[in-house]
Amino acid sequence: MALDKTIAVINELAKSSVLKNYAIAGAVAAAAYVQSVLTEDLDILIAVDNLATRPSGLLLLSPIEDALAAMGYTERSDVGVMVEDWPVQFIPVASDLDVESLQEAQDVRFDATPSFLARVLRPEHIVAKALTVGRFKDLDRIESFLDQRAVDLPRLQAVLSRHELLAPWKAFCLQAGRTDPLGAP
Amino acid sequence: MPTSYPDISDIIARKQAGRRAAAAKPFAEKVAELERLRARARALRKSQPVEAASVGDKNGLDS
Repeated sequence: MALDKTIAVINELAKSSVLKNYAIAGAVAAAAYVQSVLTEDLDILIAVDNLATRPSGLLLLSPIEDALAAMGYTERSDVGVMVEDWPVQFIPVASDLDVESLQEAQDVRFDATPSFLARVLRPEHIVAKALTVGRFKDLDRIESFLDQRAVDLPRLQAVLSRHELLAPWKAFCLQAGRTDPLGAP
Repeated sequence: MPTSYPDISDIIARKQAGRRAAAAKPFAEKVAELERLRARARALRKSQPVEAASVGDKNGLDS
């Protein structure tokens, strides 16, 4: 298995303070809570304080890329830096929902080793993010979280309410042909 | 005479139970499954003609 090594490298970057605030997002984050689905990359949501800023205001990933290069990870794919056979894509926060997702991310035990933790977005934020992106596969992900009872509904309702996503949520329920599990008016 | 179809609700229920059981597995086991899916997808792409493989590269992949 290679992805455990990739996650260990990410943890190493965090330990050395190169990554100050981050969490696993996307399909790998979802796999912490629901059945795995195919993915080809590892998404890491990061805070902007992990980035370098040019005088023009342009944000650069160079501090992270430099640290990875120093560890021997210099190969790039079209979606990110290759780390132990997995392309890793570092995605800066781009919304208030992203900022909150990072703040409330949690450490999930990866395996039987108590010290091997992976910092992962909470289920409610994964569902809320999927709702904002809204591709078929995102809506399918929401279905998985609901069907596999992997999301805390009151907490989800609070997140959706805070980020004005209750209307898209209702539209999703209608499209999916399911009764609104939040029972919101 | 109307066609009579079998009741498949027990099959659907068993499938759902299977998905919930898969979801409850430890993270490491689900990551191992993810790696197997990825290996299978790569093998499939390699077995396809070049043109079809390039079209399918991004299709069906999750982020």
